[in-house]
Amino acid sequence: MDHKLEKILARVQKPGRYVGGEYNAVQKDKAQVDCRFAFCFPDTYEIGMSNLGLRILYGVLNKMEGVWCERVFAPWGDMEEAMRQEGLPLYALESGDPVKDFDLIGFSLGYELAYTNVLNMLDLAGLPLRSADRTELTPLVVAGGTCTYNPEPLAPFVDLINLGEGEYVLPEVVQLYRKARDEGWSKDQLLRAAAQIPGVYVPSLYDVAYHEDGTIAAITPKDGAPEKVTKRIVQDMDASYYPTKTIVPSTEVTHDRVMLELFRGCIRGCRFCQAGFVYRPVRGRSHALLAKQGIEACQDSGYQDMTLMSLSSSDYPDLLPLCDQLLEWCQPRKVSLSLPSLRADNFSMNLMEKLQAGGRKSGLTFAPEAGSQRLRDAINKNVTEEDLLNSCRTAFAGGWSSVKLYFMLGLPTETDEDVLGIADLANKVYHVWRNNTPNRSRGVRITVSTSCFVPKSHTPFQWEAQNTQEEYLRKVTLLREHLRNKSITYNWHDPETSFLEAALSRGDRRLADVIETAWRNGAKFDSWSEYFSLDTWLNAFQANGLSPAFYANRERGKDEILPWKVISDGVKESYLWKERQAAYEGVITPDCRVKCSGCGANKLCEGGVCHV
Amino acid sequence: MSDQRILFTKSGTAKYISHLDLMHTMERAFLRAGITIRHTAGFHPHPYVSIPLPLPLGFSSQCELLEFGLVEGSTVEELPQKMNQALPAGIQVLQCYDGGLPFKRLAYVRYDITLEFETPLADQAAQAFRDLLSRESFVVQKRSKKAKSGFTEVDIIPLVEAVEEIRPEGTFLYLTLLLKAQNPGLNPDVLLQGFRGEHPELPMIYTACHRREILAEDKKIYR
Repeated sequence: MDHKLEKILARVQKPGRYVGGEYNAVQKDKAQVDCRFAFCFPDTYEIGMSNLGLRILYGVLNKMEGVWCERVFAPWGDMEEAMRQEGLPLYALESGDPVKDFDLIGFSLGYELAYTNVLNMLDLAGLPLRSADRTELTPLVVAGGTCTYNPEPLAPFVDLINLGEGEYVLPEVVQLYRKARDEGWSKDQLLRAAAQIPGVYVPSLYDVAYHEDGTIAAITPKDGAPEKVTKRIVQDMDASYYPTKTIVPSTEVTHDRVMLELFRGCIRGCRFCQAGFVYRPVRGRSHALLAKQGIEACQDSGYQDMTLMSLSSSDYPDLLPLCDQLLEWCQPRKVSLSLPSLRADNFSMNLMEKLQAGGRKSGLTFAPEAGSQRLRDAINKNVTEEDLLNSCRTAFAGGWSSVKLYFMLGLPTETDEDVLGIADLANKVYHVWRNNTPNRSRGVRITVSTSCFVPKSHTPFQWEAQNTQEEYLRKVTLLREHLRNKSITYNWHDPETSFLEAALSRGDRRLADVIETAWRNGAKFDSWSEYFSLDTWLNAFQANGLSPAFYANRERGKDEILPWKVISDGVKESYLWKERQAAYEGVITPDCRVKCSGCGANKLCEGGVCHV
Repeated sequence: MSDQRILFTKSGTAKYISHLDLMHTMERAFLRAGITIRHTAGFHPHPYVSIPLPLPLGFSSQCELLEFGLVEGSTVEELPQKMNQALPAGIQVLQCYDGGLPFKRLAYVRYDITLEFETPLADQAAQAFRDLLSRESFVVQKRSKKAKSGFTEVDIIPLVEAVEEIRPEGTFLYLTLLLKAQNPGLNPDVLLQGFRGEHPELPMIYTACHRREILAEDKKIYR
């Protein structure tokens, strides 16, 4: 290990996250490698190592001959300070080599509040922040992840963006880069060629013009860049790579277990949910393969916990046979199996009891999202009060004594009546407990949590205004006054971060200057309360003559050109508008299995047919 | 049937695995290697692994011990090779054996300590260490979780069993010390901290502590 690094590690918190060397971390012989890929996760090691996407792409890239993909995470403040003091540039964990010497640098973006960390990491690597200032072909800075469906705020910083699932498009980009390097292309040449790869968006090949009021007048592609860039998907989940041999961190990380991905996409179509739209269409793995992969991953890692992941696990058609197969292997070996994202219905409750048989009863969590049936219909969250109370009844009768209920405030069409519906529902849950618990003296803990709704691109609510912070807090106060039961705890999420998230998530590329100013004034790790400062951001907006409210609290017109106009997830914009109207009419849309509602995502599949 | 022990090294990147994380790492490595180990009895059984003398974070060692109960999946002879394929970089099992001396007989640890000074102050520092360690008593304030003030006082001198080597070389100073292991033991960091307090004119820019051997009360190798 580098002597300079060793000196630094003596004085930082949790040094284990800065050294690599974990079981299954990939080491390659540099003599056999011609392309180095630095996979950068703009958050801490603990968060990044909990990300399944990172593990998949790490495996996919390292399977390529001559390619060595390594991991890079954002150093925490104490480490960053020490690195800057000692002049140690950002390095990759596997080799310890400086990131700036890599061929490609890839950022995985899951949330807007990580933007400043991208800038900070580029700076720590010793690279110019802006694509235009990095004139050489190498290193090429690429990005991907859910957050890049509106890539505009980061447009000037990254060279190109991969839309959608990276399993196939990322290797194509790597191959194009190798060709460009071997043939001595300029960076411009490479970017123009990359723009022709389906699913690759090159921000510098689009000119954006604005109206005087700040809305977009036109987005014009140049140099042959396409009018629309459509995301890429994995067609056959069974044939796609799953990391059964994956890195096992030697220090504790946030999600420290086998993550088994049941399917991608979601049949439900909740109107507020970006993931529910951008991951369409739904594509599953077969249960026999999943059971095999889950067992292999446990054996290889030594993990004693496995979690089944998806956007809505109860919608996996073969969930029962899968769980039976896994339990048969897990139970005698004391491997615990967990199933988040279950719906509040009887089927799921029976399944939960089965999973937890003999084990400790963990808490129950439900996300009704809205307090009244009217609003749940408007947002297309197809959970009824009856379902929820029935599930609670089963749970309480079975000895559970703690329930968490998650809601959003500020959803479109919400009235004070809907807000009070949350209190009403929580009280009903309390009475269900009183009437069904085998042991009243043990008491019950009902936790109600609210967050401030953030409208996202590519959803039916992409045109909506977010509630102002004042309005949100007024609703919080209203709700608090009606939650007077001592068995009910009320937690509300602070609206400041939601406000910033809303301003960034639907921003245009003028926000790049705001992000850079905020970063220069100290913003980083904005999703961490230790670092977040709204004032830094408000000042940055002001310094650049922009208003965060313009992005967060303004309703967009139907004909307004949205900053992410070029980016398509396969779902038609006309469909989103129709869904928005349905929300205002309180009409629900059936799920994809009941009836195809014609969103357009079927065209992403070979043959134009979804396999729901 | 008695329990088993492994003797292993912890160095390189593995120096930064904390005691608690090391226990988890070992439990997982046993599973990866296909070796079943004994679980504790009681309401929440968990795999039994016990490390008699936790190694402070950042120290390296060539003589760590871990006790466990081998149920099935390997013989004592095959175990080191099986485990070494399942362990992260920097941890290597040297030996596996049945039984072993009771933990309470572990009395001394031989440490190799490397200190780096900014300028060639190592000679001066060597003398300072010799003087310091030949005192009748040298009391250092030590962080404590139990004491109300957050600090307790320790006299280091009775906890240093032997000063085996003090060797300056350029900007480096190499110490080999035999320290008491437990009840109470001495963490060499406490000594270095005391030295810093006494000699601010001799700033160390790098320190490394390495456990070379562990000894029983009769000064024979402890296993």
